Parts: sequence; C-alpha cells; structure tokens
Amino acid sequence: MSGHAANPLHHPEVSIANGKTYLANFVISVALMTVALLVVLSGMAPFDVFLVTTAIGGLTVIIQSYLILHTDTSRGQFWHTFSLLLFVPLFIVTIGLTAWMFHGLYQRTMIMPARSGASPMSLHTRAGTR
Amino acid sequence: MLVHLQGSWSPALGRLCMKQLAFLHVPILEYTFAVVALLGLAAVGAVTYFGKWKYLWREWLTTVDHKRIGIMYIIIGLVMLLRGFADAVMIRLQQDMAIGPHSPGYMGAVHGYLTPFHIGQIFSAHGMIMIVFAATPLLVGLMNIIVPIQIGARDMAYPYLNALGLWLTGGGAALVMLSLFIGNFAHGGWYGFLPYFELPYSPGVGVDYWMWAFQLSAIGTSLGSINLIATIVKMRAPGMTWMRLPIFTWASLSTNLIALTSFPVLMVALALVGMDRYLGTHFYTAGMGGNLMLYNDLFWIWGHPEVYFLILPAFGIMSEIIPTFSEKTLFGYATMVIASFAIGGVSWGVWLHHFFTMAAAPSVNSFYSITTMLVGIPTGVKIFNWIFTMYRGRVRFELPMMWALLALSLLIVGGMTGMMNAFASNDYMWHNGIFVVAHFHMMVLVIASSIFGAVEYWFPKLFGFKLEQKWGKWFFWFMVLGTGFVFVPMFILGLAGMTRRLDYIPYTAWGPYLHLEMVGIGLYGAALLFFLAHLYVSLRDRESRRVGADAWGTGRSVEWMTHSPVPSYNFALIPHINARDEWAWRKDNGLTELHPGDYEPIHMPKNTGVPLVLGAFFFTLAFGLTWRIWWLTALSTAAIVIMIIVRSFDTDTDMTIPPNEVERTEKRRSDRASDFIATGVPPYAGGPVGTATAYQRLPEPAGGTGASSGGRL
Amino acid sequence: MSAHSTAVDPKSASLWARHYPGHDVIGTRTFGFWLYMLTDAMVYAALFASLVVLSHASNMVGGPAPSEFINPRVAYEETIALFASVLTYGLAMVSLKKGSRRGVTGWILLSALLGLVYLGLSVADNVNLFQHGITPQTNGFLSAFFAIIIYHAVHIVVGVAWMLVMLLQIAKEGFSQNVVYRLINLRLFWHFQAVIWVFVFVFVYLQGVVL
Ligand code: HEM
Ligand SMILES: [Cu+2]
Repeated sequence: MSGHAANPLHHPEVSIANGKTYLANFVISVALMTVALLVVLSGMAPFDVFLVTTAIGGLTVIIQSYLILHTDTSRGQFWHTFSLLLFVPLFIVTIGLTAWMFHGLYQRTMIMPARSGASPMSLHTRAGTR
Repeated sequence: MLVHLQGSWSPALGRLCMKQLAFLHVPILEYTFAVVALLGLAAVGAVTYFGKWKYLWREWLTTVDHKRIGIMYIIIGLVMLLRGFADAVMIRLQQDMAIGPHSPGYMGAVHGYLTPFHIGQIFSAHGMIMIVFAATPLLVGLMNIIVPIQIGARDMAYPYLNALGLWLTGGGAALVMLSLFIGNFAHGGWYGFLPYFELPYSPGVGVDYWMWAFQLSAIGTSLGSINLIATIVKMRAPGMTWMRLPIFTWASLSTNLIALTSFPVLMVALALVGMDRYLGTHFYTAGMGGNLMLYNDLFWIWGHPEVYFLILPAFGIMSEIIPTFSEKTLFGYATMVIASFAIGGVSWGVWLHHFFTMAAAPSVNSFYSITTMLVGIPTGVKIFNWIFTMYRGRVRFELPMMWALLALSLLIVGGMTGMMNAFASNDYMWHNGIFVVAHFHMMVLVIASSIFGAVEYWFPKLFGFKLEQKWGKWFFWFMVLGTGFVFVPMFILGLAGMTRRLDYIPYTAWGPYLHLEMVGIGLYGAALLFFLAHLYVSLRDRESRRVGADAWGTGRSVEWMTHSPVPSYNFALIPHINARDEWAWRKDNGLTELHPGDYEPIHMPKNTGVPLVLGAFFFTLAFGLTWRIWWLTALSTAAIVIMIIVRSFDTDTDMTIPPNEVERTEKRRSDRASDFIATGVPPYAGGPVGTATAYQRLPEPAGGTGASSGGRL
Repeated sequence: MSAHSTAVDPKSASLWARHYPGHDVIGTRTFGFWLYMLTDAMVYAALFASLVVLSHASNMVGGPAPSEFINPRVAYEETIALFASVLTYGLAMVSLKKGSRRGVTGWILLSALLGLVYLGLSVADNVNLFQHGITPQTNGFLSAFFAIIIYHAVHIVVGVAWMLVMLLQIAKEGFSQNVVYRLINLRLFWHFQAVIWVFVFVFVYLQGVVL
C-alpha cells in the first residue's frame, strides 16, 4: 500500500528537526514564562496581571507552535497547520461563549459575595462601569 | 478517595448480587429475557450447525476490510434500531393506557402497565439507543463502506483502528443491552439530568451504565472520525482534486470534522459526571460550589453539533441518490459543499438553544436565537439545489429515490418547526414539551429515510444483487402512514401544552390524539413486517436480480466503476480521475472498460483479532466500573495497555496479493455494465420512462443543467 | 475552480494509475495522530471552560481562596523541567535526522528523566496540598483545578512510558518506517504538552494567584 523503497529517515517530517530552533524555543519560552512569573510577584493590580499574563501566554503559545510544532505552510506540514487553524476558533467559542453565558447567569442568579472578584469575569465587572 | 456507597458491596462482585438480576423478578423482563436468550441460542446453534464458526472468525470478526466493518456497523445499527423501536412501542402503549384518573393499572402500576421508574428507564434508553447506537453506527457504517471506494482507495488510513472503533461501539451496545437484565438503566432522560444523576439521588447503577456505554461509543466514534478524515485528505486517487470529490465524500468530511471537534467535549461532560459519582468531586453538585448548568453547557456543546453530525451524511446520501435517479449532474455542487461546511460551522455556535430557559441574559438568548436561525440559510440552499437537480431531469421513482424524496419532505417540516423553536420567546412556552419532541423526530426520520434509501441504493454494490421493489414499496408507504399518524397528533398535543416523558396523562381530552398515535405505532409495526418480507424475498430471488458494476444504470461517481460485489482490494488498479462525475464522464466518452489487464501486486493489511479482544476488554472495563468491581477494572486496564504495547512490536501486519491472483479474481467478476455496452442491451432500470440508460446523452438544454460531466456553479 | 477549466481530453486521458506508489504512510500516520492531539486539546478547552464557570466566589465555599494555596514558584520549576525535556526530545529528533542510534537513545533517556523530574515536583506539590485538606472533593473550584493539573500529569506519565517503549523498539528494529513514524508522533505528543502547559501555568497557576 505504500512506497516501501524510500528510506524513512529521508521523510520531510524527519528532516524538519532543527536543533537551533529548538534551542531558541527553549530560551524564548523560559524567558517569557519568567517575565510572567515576575509580573505576578510584582504586586501589580489583579486586572493588569490578568491582561499582561494572558498576552504573554498567547505570545508563547504562538511562538511554540511555530518553533516546535512546526505549524508552517510547507508541503509536509500544510495539513497540520490547516487543521490547527480550524480548531482555534472552536477553542475560543467553547471557552468564550461559555464564559459569556455564565457571566450573565451568575449576575442574574447569584448573590455576589463580599469577597473581591473571584474570576476573570468578575474582575472584568469591577474594572467596568459598575 | 472513593465515595461512600449506599447498599452492599463486596470485593469479588462489587455491587453485583442476586437481587440485581432483574430478569428473575420483573415480569416483563422475564419474557424479554426468554426471547433474547432463545434468539441468541438459535443464532449460536445455527452457526454451529452450519459449521460457520471458522468462517465467522476469519472473514468477519477479525477482518480489517472497511466494507465488512461497515456492514457489521450497519448490522449493529439495525439490531439497536429494533430495540429502540420496542422501547417506543412500550412508551406509546403506556401513554395510550394511562389517561385520566379512572384509567386502570396493571402489573404494579397505578395507571397503565409501567411504573414511573420503569418508564423512566425506557425513554432514556430509547433516546440514547436511537441516537448513539442506531443512527450513528448506521451512518458510520455507510461512510466506512462508501468513502474509500468513492475516492478510489483500497482501504482506510488505519484499518486496524477502524476495527477497534467498531468493537468499541459493539461493546457499548452490549453494555446497554446487558442493563436490561442485570441491574437497571438511567431513568432521567437520554441526555442526562444533573444533579439528579448524582450518586445521592440516583444511587443505582443505571446512570453508570448510561455513562460508560455513552463513553465507549464516544471514543469509538472519534477514532472513526480521525480515520475518515485522514483517509479523505491523504488517500484520494491521483487526479481526484478537491473539486472532483464526490458529494457524499464531502458530506462525510464535514460531518467527521464535527465529530472530531465535538466528541471530546462530550467525553469531558461525561467524565465529570463520573468523577462526581466515583470520586466525590463537586462539578455538578447542587451545593459545595458545583454548577449543574455546567453539565448542560458541556453536553450541548457536543449535543447540537452531534445532531448535525447525524444529518450531514443523510444530506450527502440524498445528494447522491437524487442525481442518479434524475439522470443529471447535481445542481450547484460548489454551493452544496459550502453549505455543508457552513452548517457544520454554525452548528458550533447555537447550543444554548437547548436551554434558553436557563436564565442567561437576554442578549445571550438573542444571540443564540439568531445563530440558530442562520442554519436555515445553508439548509435552504440544499433543498433548492435538490429540487433544481430534479427539474428537467428524467426522474425515476425507484425505491432509493422515494426514500430520498421522503427525507426531503420531512426535512422541510422539521426545519420549519426548528425555526419555531429558535425563537427564545416561543421556546419558553414549549421547552421540554412534546412539540420539541415532534420537531426532532421529524429530523431523525430524515436520517432514517436517507439510511433506508442508502441501503436500497448501495446494497447491489456490496452484494451484487438488487433488493426487490414490491414489498419495499409496502414498507415505504407504511412508514409514511405511521409517521403521519404518530407525529401530526404529537405536534398538535405539543401546541396544546403536553410536556414530554409523562407516565400519566392528566387530561382525558388528549386521549383521542394519543389513541391516534397508537394507530401510527401499529402502522409502523406493519411496516416492520413488510421490511422483513422485503429482505426475505430479495434474498430468496437474488439470482434474478444480479447486477453489474453500474447497478442502476445511471450511477455517476467512482463507486460504480468497480465490480459488484466489490473485491476486497476495491480496485485492481487505482483509477485515475479525470472529471467530477468520473463514471458518468467515462460513460459519455465510451471509456467503460473495467478490465484494464496487466495487473500489479497489491499490498493489503492482514486480518487481526486484536481489535476484537481489545473491544472485549473495554467492555469488561466498563462493566467493572459500572458495578465497581475493582479487580476486573484493574485487570482489564492492564490487559488493554499490555495488548496495545505488544501489538506495536508486531511487524507482520501486511500481506501482498500477487498479480495472478488479482487476475483470477477479476476474471471471475463478469462485468455486466461493459457487456451491455458491447451488446447494446440496457440494464434493468424501471420507472415510468421505461428503460433509461446512462450512456444515452441527454440533449443538452440551454442553461447548463445538462447531463454531461461538467455542471456549472 | 470550475469543472470547465479542468476538462480533460477523453482521447488522451489516463484511466488507471499504473505503478502507483501509494500514499505517504508516515505523513498519513502523523496527520492522524495530530488530529488526535487536537481532540485532546479540545478536551483541555472543555476543562478550561469548566474552570472558568467554576471560578466564581460561590464555587469556592468551604475551601481557601486560590491565592492562599497556589505556589507559582513550584509551577515555575516544573515549567523549566518540562521545557528542558521538550528541548532534549527535539535534539533526539536531530540525531534521528543524522541516523545516529546512540544520539536518539541518549537524548530520549534524558527527556524521560526530565519528565520524571517534572512528575516528582508535581506529585510533591499536590500531595502537600492534599495534606492540608485542599483536595478535589473540597468544592467545585478545586475539582476543576485538580482535574486540569492531574490530567496534564497523566499525559506526562504516558509520554515517559511511551519513551521507554520506543527505546525498546529502536533496539529491536532500528529506524524502520514504523519506528520513525512513532518517534515523530511522540515528538508531536511531547511538544504539545509544552504548549498545553503554557496554558496551565498562566491560566491556572499565575492567574490563580490574583483570583
Ligand atoms: C433548521 C435547523 C434546526 C433548528 C433551527 C433547530 C432548533 C432546535 C431547537 C431550538 C431545539 C430546542 C428546543 C427545546 O429543547 O426547547 C431543538 C431541539 C432538538 N433538535 Fe433541532 N433544530 C434544527 C435541526 C435539527 C436537526 C438537523 C436535528 C437532528 C438531526 C435536530 C435534532 C434535535 C434534537 C434531538 C433536539 C432535542 C433534544 C432533546 O431535548 O432531547 N434538530 N432544535
Ligand atoms: Cu440544537
């Protein structure tokens, strides 16, 4: 059922491995995570921490998926990248719409305890117009 | 770690004890058990008597052939369809009897003949079986059989995984059947009901059976979706560009993308129920910081895409049948493809319409109302495309076409009532009512009708002979009648305010409608008998209905380009694809020779019993978990892990069919389609326009709706 | 893309693909496995959605606020261990490219070891929490919190076990087609854990501190 003759070590997904990018990925990721940790320990306002760490996390994930998951548009990787891009909106929908629905639900059905905000959603409320 | 249980438990048998062998004390189950046991014994006896065990093991149970796996999926689906139908009869009978305070009660029930606990199990099992163990295996089986042939491949991307998916589904189905006789089943509805399904309120094993059976089939289906997607993306025959992909394959791709993306969420929804019940966590509990609406959220994130997972293949089937029996290319191919993917996409953003009444903010409800209505646009596009395909075609009303048209009509009814549900303001009035039930039964009947159409349509491809038409038509018309009698009154009762899942009907004024529904069930029962007659007569007279490659004479896509029945390797030589409707194109150009000669060796995967044994261990794992028999659970898990690892060391998994054997097989297949072309005698086609053949080119009408392979749009 | 532009002349059309080499087996295997990884990511998405829903103050009854028990420093150490393991597995793939059996074996062993370091840190941290009565059974928030962390740790266990199996297979078969595609799949699996861990570290640990 297959091309038996070809040496598996010459497959494009083997030759894609690259020590330099893996090393670069390690250095960048560790640096970004360190910054994120320092932001948290710095005593910044919670909502700012929330925003900054989210941004750093998002950036790290994008860098990692390019450097180590090899999500590019080369011939060997095209379908991997394509299917990932198909999933990303669904991740956002799953988490985002759920958060939105329950945010309204909690506001309308729960007694808000006195303790300060307890979720990204309630942080949001506090920073908002209320 | 583990929760404290009510009731007895022993290390050897878990919660299992004599008292749980329900078929020993519940009268209805005694009879059911007797019947099932007799049927089982008869089957075993027959196989032994005819000495077929070896054949069964070698050719079926250990097979990795995608066609045989598909056929076994369909057999599981049909058996479970029968079981689901039996449940439906019991529900209808209860609602036919238990009307008003003066209605009598039998067998321990105050009214009717079923106690609330019992009817609760029946409607839960009915819904779950029909969706998960009837519709899903039937459609998965069809896709499994047809897609590789349609794309000119010899097999699926992962033949071994394919078999594993089958046996996981089989294990789940067996678990549901077992719950009839040992213990009991969930009793709060097919989609689960939290926190009612938490251990304190549902202490029995019913919920556990439901959960694990569901989980097994979810794993099986998502493995299957990976397989089909990889097959379609990576294994198309040379020349088959995306715009030449047969439409059923497109539908399968979009539907499996839905499965791939949504089933993991179902697994989470169910796993969290499991953690609450087994480990005492608080995901869905009413107190202790749980949130019962989280369950509804997760379940319907899967649940709504799931209903489209079921209907898209049905649409694909209709898109194959209608052009064949209109002798025209499909109208609006590209818009069909776009519509399939649009439906798949939108289905991911509408799930809150299953719980509009949750009390989310008005903006949220409005958002979901609107997205729900958006689905109507691509669906409408499809309906018009089918109608335009028939327009100026030579429509032949053979059985597959009749089923496709029935599906089309029901789709309109179901879609319109779905739109009515989509208004949150309407839904507040009839949510959890019979109107909703009637709506989705229209939709699932679209699926059922397309499946029957598909079975009629592709049966000759797999078995080499056509099913007969007379009893098939009786079956068809009694299904139509039954549907009318059951569901028209149901819509009316829904608007009158009847809620779903009642074990007792308080208003005698509803009686006449419920009696009408019972008549409908009688008609369905008659239809079932006609179906059996249909199968019997077809099998008996098969010799007179043998067909060649192009069974209907007007087939258009690649599957009609190989022999009927299809050889194990599908194509002696992989076809090279030149046009969208490749076979129609070849016929138009007189290129119908199916014996190219000069055969080459063919590599195929070897049969293996590993998937079957793994499926069996998954079954014992689920059984052990259900009854909390920990040694069985541990043993099964260990066996599964070890088998997977050991199998990965096996290098002897493939075989080669030498060219002379291919040649011998090919010679044995007399290919009637090419004979007919040589002799000029057309194959049997039937229908009002007399004998129609595909090789006659229709006069090209102005406007580009002609029969040639191209087709605009 | 219309059918007209691609019309084929029937006289010269080729009808059967003779000597068709078949599909790319390694590419198909890794694509299917990648699809599986994406479904696993969807599992995480559902778990994170649950965490969002269960992060309201009312979900924390009977337990401490997250800022009172989450220790971002331990999580940071776990991060370093995991990222290092991902790096060494990447280097194993570089050795594979060169066809060096010793290189592949050595780097994979190191990756497995670093994976065990990660697991050790994670287990110690969680056992510590359990000993303080902070368990998944405490309340809804903690159920979701531990579900994510333990689910991730289970992946690491599977990954380490898989590495050991691959070491055996390399010893037995060398770099056959089957071994090579499995090594690539394991790379996808292992590297994916790093990406998921970024989410866990940022959204569960770091943002938990300021909840
Ligand atoms: C035009 C497209 C459709 C629309 C607008 C639509 C709308 C709706 C709405 C709003 C509900 C919720 C009603 C309630 O629970 O109060 C519903 C329920 C349902 N629909 Fe549809 N639907 C559509 C198509 C389908 C299809 C194609 C299927 C199945 C193949 C389907 C199957 C179901 C099922 C199974 C339920 C109820 C599940 C349950 O509560 O047990 N629907 N539909
Ligand atoms: Cu829906």
